[in-house]
Amino acid sequence: MMEELEGVVEIVEVEPTEGEGFIVVEGFPDVGLVGTIAASFLADRLQMKEVGYIESDILPPIISIRNGKVLDLIRLYRKNNLIVVISEIPIPLPLIRPLSQKIVDWAMSKNAKMIISLTGMPEPARLDIDTPRVFVLGSNKKISEDALKIEGVTAFTDGFIAGVKGMILRESIRKDFNALLILSQAHFNYPDPGSAAEVLRYLSKLLSIDIDIKPLLESAEELKLRLRDLMRRTSQAMQDVQKSRELELPAVYL
Amino acid sequence: MAYRRSLWKLMLDEFKRLEQELRNIEEDFYMKIKGLESMRGCITPLYNIYESGDELIITADLPGTSRDEIDLTVSEDYLKIEAPCRSPARRMREGRYLLHIRLPVEIEPESVKARYKEGVLEINAKKKIKGFKIKVE
Repeated sequence: MMEELEGVVEIVEVEPTEGEGFIVVEGFPDVGLVGTIAASFLADRLQMKEVGYIESDILPPIISIRNGKVLDLIRLYRKNNLIVVISEIPIPLPLIRPLSQKIVDWAMSKNAKMIISLTGMPEPARLDIDTPRVFVLGSNKKISEDALKIEGVTAFTDGFIAGVKGMILRESIRKDFNALLILSQAHFNYPDPGSAAEVLRYLSKLLSIDIDIKPLLESAEELKLRLRDLMRRTSQAMQDVQKSRELELPAVYL
Repeated sequence: MAYRRSLWKLMLDEFKRLEQELRNIEEDFYMKIKGLESMRGCITPLYNIYESGDELIITADLPGTSRDEIDLTVSEDYLKIEAPCRSPARRMREGRYLLHIRLPVEIEPESVKARYKEGVLEINAKKKIKGFKIKVE
């Protein structure tokens, strides 16, 4: 099976990733585009540098152009020991497993400390919630316990996680690697900058980095407009991975 | 054995063809939305329709407008939302949201309530219930 996956997806380092104790933060598009908004805001605010991209034949043959610069669809940014992975497209279903495995294998090969996945937790009553709650789930007891030491956060105990984030966590558990999932209550298929702000507020405490989320909240309406098309495509991709299952509870006792 | 292999290949090819067809339909849908938006100079907002008991709930994402400017028209089986859209984003001109929805069930138009919060419009309507009340014995 592993041989079949060889070459399906590659992480190309434009600049060699050298060092110790990396923390890899991914924000692939899904519920409320919470991870996408949070990760790209983080990379922008910390003025992170593009250091690599993800290559795969499964990705659509598209390039992104920003300020006259040609960009790949899935890119890696770095500052100090923090690496952020950002995607401009929802991850196609056939790429989810190989990409998740690749990210975990790559992080392990770089002696990374941890992979952090940022995402939204679908909340049908989101309109009635002023401050979304943040939930965490670690790939092992120690990671979960450490994550829960921060005030105001709740353990994610029951439910489903579909897509890349679930697969990264599963892969990390199998390979005894550290991974943490951070979720915040969010609109299922409307971009939710308010929810992304809560994820960032938590992340800044967890990693002891200073992130001013005020500009994010101030540009919330503009972001929602700009992300409308990505959200529409992400909603379609979320159907492919049965993302609506995240609104359900597991049906069995064990 | 060779027969099984060719049958398997036929099935795989058919799955791939169906997958491609679905992708084409999806792409056609996006093209139509973007084409219509460019032609009419209006924006089709993201929206959802949920049925909950005797209620129909419709939500629409309308950032960049205000409560007082939303023009909402409803009938028993139809809903129209119109609102101006102001965006400070670069290369994005001021536009107008326009959404017409044919409702999946009939509603009581006089029961409709709407609220607008943080860019999201929520409309609640009572479903029109037709029929007789039966006493359970």
